[in-house]
Amino acid sequence: MANGNGHITPVEVDLTDQGITEHLSHKVFAFDRRLAYAMAGLGVLFILGIIGFVMRAVGDGFSDASRHEWGYYAAMFAFLLCTAGTAPLVAVAFRWTKNHWRRPLSRASEMFALVGILNLLWFIPLMALLPAIDLNGDGHLEVGVDRRTVWFEGPIGAPLWWDMAAMIGLVVCGLAILWVSARPDMSVVAARGSGWRAALMRKLAMGWQGTKRDWRRQQAFLAMLGGFYFMLLILVHTLVSLDFALSLVPGWKDSILAPHHALTGIQAAAGTVLVTIFVMRTWGGYGRYIGLDPFWAFSKVLLGLTLLWGYFWFSEFMTFWYGRDPTEQSVIKLVMFESYRTAFLLNFFFSFVIPFGLLLWNGVRKSVLGPTIAGASVIIGAFFMMVRLYVPAFNIRDVGAHSIADFEAGVGQAIPSQLLPVTPDVWDVFIILGGLSGTALIFLLGTRLLPVMSMWETKEGLLYMLVRPLLKGRYMVLGKPD
Amino acid sequence: MQEGRSLTDREINRGLLNSLYQNPKWYWGSVTLLGVIVLGAMAAAGYMINQGLGVTGLNRPVMWGFFITNFVFWIGISHAGVMLSAILRLSKAEWRRPATRAAEVLTVFSLMTAMLMPFIHAGRPWRLFYWVFPYDWARGVFPNVRSALIWDPSAVFTYLTSSILFVYIALLPDLAVIRDRSTGVRRTIYSVLCLGWKGNSRQWKLQIIAGILLSALILPVFVSVHSIVSFDFSMAIAVKSWHSTIFPPYFVIGAVHSGVAAVVIVMALMRWLFHWHDYVRPEHFDALGRLLIVVATGWFFFFVMEFLFGLYGLEGDEISVKDFLTAQAPWSWWFITFVGTTYFIPVGMWLFKSVRRNPWLMVVACVSVNIGMWLERFLIIVPGLAQKQLFNFAWYTYAPSPVEVVIIIGTFALVSMLMLLFAKVFPLIPIYDIKEGEILKQEIKIGRRTVPAVIRED
Repeated sequence: MANGNGHITPVEVDLTDQGITEHLSHKVFAFDRRLAYAMAGLGVLFILGIIGFVMRAVGDGFSDASRHEWGYYAAMFAFLLCTAGTAPLVAVAFRWTKNHWRRPLSRASEMFALVGILNLLWFIPLMALLPAIDLNGDGHLEVGVDRRTVWFEGPIGAPLWWDMAAMIGLVVCGLAILWVSARPDMSVVAARGSGWRAALMRKLAMGWQGTKRDWRRQQAFLAMLGGFYFMLLILVHTLVSLDFALSLVPGWKDSILAPHHALTGIQAAAGTVLVTIFVMRTWGGYGRYIGLDPFWAFSKVLLGLTLLWGYFWFSEFMTFWYGRDPTEQSVIKLVMFESYRTAFLLNFFFSFVIPFGLLLWNGVRKSVLGPTIAGASVIIGAFFMMVRLYVPAFNIRDVGAHSIADFEAGVGQAIPSQLLPVTPDVWDVFIILGGLSGTALIFLLGTRLLPVMSMWETKEGLLYMLVRPLLKGRYMVLGKPD
Repeated sequence: MQEGRSLTDREINRGLLNSLYQNPKWYWGSVTLLGVIVLGAMAAAGYMINQGLGVTGLNRPVMWGFFITNFVFWIGISHAGVMLSAILRLSKAEWRRPATRAAEVLTVFSLMTAMLMPFIHAGRPWRLFYWVFPYDWARGVFPNVRSALIWDPSAVFTYLTSSILFVYIALLPDLAVIRDRSTGVRRTIYSVLCLGWKGNSRQWKLQIIAGILLSALILPVFVSVHSIVSFDFSMAIAVKSWHSTIFPPYFVIGAVHSGVAAVVIVMALMRWLFHWHDYVRPEHFDALGRLLIVVATGWFFFFVMEFLFGLYGLEGDEISVKDFLTAQAPWSWWFITFVGTTYFIPVGMWLFKSVRRNPWLMVVACVSVNIGMWLERFLIIVPGLAQKQLFNFAWYTYAPSPVEVVIIIGTFALVSMLMLLFAKVFPLIPIYDIKEGEILKQEIKIGRRTVPAVIRED
């Protein structure tokens, strides 16, 4: 467990600085047949996704009239934002709190910043689908004619260009975090490799030499960028949920939606990182770095997030249900109990019931598989949540109405047609598959450039963790630098 | 995170028990002064009960004023105990040790004080009997169990019971220390109270398990208490500005904000009054300051959402309340003061490490938070009621009477007095917890640097 100088490794094997450098930089350059097959398969699925998008765009176009066809596309955008788009926060948060168990998962979570580029591209068509605020174009806001938004009557370019600016800010900030954090490893990879990748890493490392000044600046930048990233992330979740879901449904006035959306994102990001490190540990050849610690510690965080998820949902449900207001009743019927009942039940089950039921038990938390299953569950739950929020919102045609309670059902219909559930067609399925495979593919491409395990953080961890005797036992001692 | 010198068990016993065995002049002077204020508040409450609610500023439609504001405020302060004790214990934050007992005790006393407010607010306290029990037995008229006002006392009393248990379980080892240093009747009392604590391994194991279990079990109670208090408002659809889905978490995070700030004030006072500089150190204020930045920013996000959605609906009732708050003096001044003192002033101060490490500047920032949080509750309750609502044709604003002001001041004196009296009979910093911290304290040499470290037990 302990190496020669009394310092121990994050997991129960001997590691040395040299061994870490050699192994992790070798992983970047080595050809892995399984990985190549996986990337080829993902590439095929991603192309299917592009075909789905093209067919949707050519067949339906981008207009108010075709908005209802794009519901699953919007849901998939929000899902990517919640999972890959939020994942870098895991590295940011636990670096702030100085948890040592974060070390094996920091880089993996930061690497999802690369997927932010896909998320940003995904957002562009959505801009063409959002209806204007001033529906009748008379220059002022009129209840019952124009639609309500959190932007009211201004500023210029609202909401699209402000949303776009926030999205760009988030993606750029995420990439900056990845770059600043990876510079030390880039210089190592550049020094140990050859070819275009080594040349690219050399350029990106921008003369990193590992001086005291380099390290200090890196810490300062990471802290500052982490703060920006967190604020931008909450802003983007807020804007996306309010502009692309809530404000499209007349009468939906739900002040907890944005925090709940952000929380779902954080919960799904935790799940994404847990599943990723499980895959890395089991099939990626990183077992020696990823012990039980990150799973055990992270599972407690996931349990807390799951409880909060249930609490936020209950706050929303209780206020609407107890109030007996016809408008609010019609909203919860739409997104929870009637039109999208199946999606809601799956959302509730996977986002709350399964992770809570599993992570309640210490035995499950203190395992590798238990937290991973809970993590996978919250990812699935987040998907169904985005479906039940965005698909019905995109299906509303009369966005300027006062309330969806005023919509009238057609002859022989129990529910007005705008409030009927929308099932995905083949292009929606292609788009969903394309989004999922695109995320995985970009992540895997990232691992061909950078070590997916942060070398410098792993080595730093060796310095801060020791085993020392106390009374009759031997215990782990954790350094807590300021 | 490990400043200050290492302390021996003997030094810790002597240092932390000095509040019990020393009798400085300021102590009894302060208790007497606070007692006089409490008596004044009791007299004001008696006068109000005798004369009726007409001596207060309450009138239709503003029937909830200072008393209910103060009720919500003290319930909020009570959230300090669980936040600092349970959550930090579960997350094994080392810096929690000197803060936990004071936070837990503050929880108990603020809950007791909070529960006085509905009694006083009722005008005729005996009528509270009707609140939870059936009245007029012959006609079988029962309280409405579907009302949040009925859920409220259930949640608060459950929280009070579990908080008392929480304090008591954590006190057991310290009670035994006091027992071993006492004689006569005092020894007998502490012997009974410490339940035969001998400090054997079985007792320690049970105490730790009980502490962890209570920490975990009290968390849902902690969240439910302020959520249900928020339901008193958000379940009402008649007052539009109260009917908001964000109210439960908004109230809870606001409570944590004011509660933790209150603990900082108590810690700084303890440090100063009892000379506990070795135990309550700048590093603890620094950690609390950083925690408060996160909590305050979370609170601010919820506040923005709550305010934004007041306008989002473009409904006249709600816009008139926001207009009242932001454009009509003196309410707009109160509103600016509330936002400034709750967020911008304290967070602006906490961004500087030198401020976070200075106990008195931390007190200034935390007093600011609590002024703001008191105003927040006031500005939620009164403008919502004062503005014209559906089915309400009376317009009226509210100004508190001297009777209400005296009673409110009395509640602050009561909590302070109870804290001082507690310090006279029990240590306000857990002795065993500090000793455990000393054992777990380590250092790691990395090159020429020495890094503070801690032993991890699992």
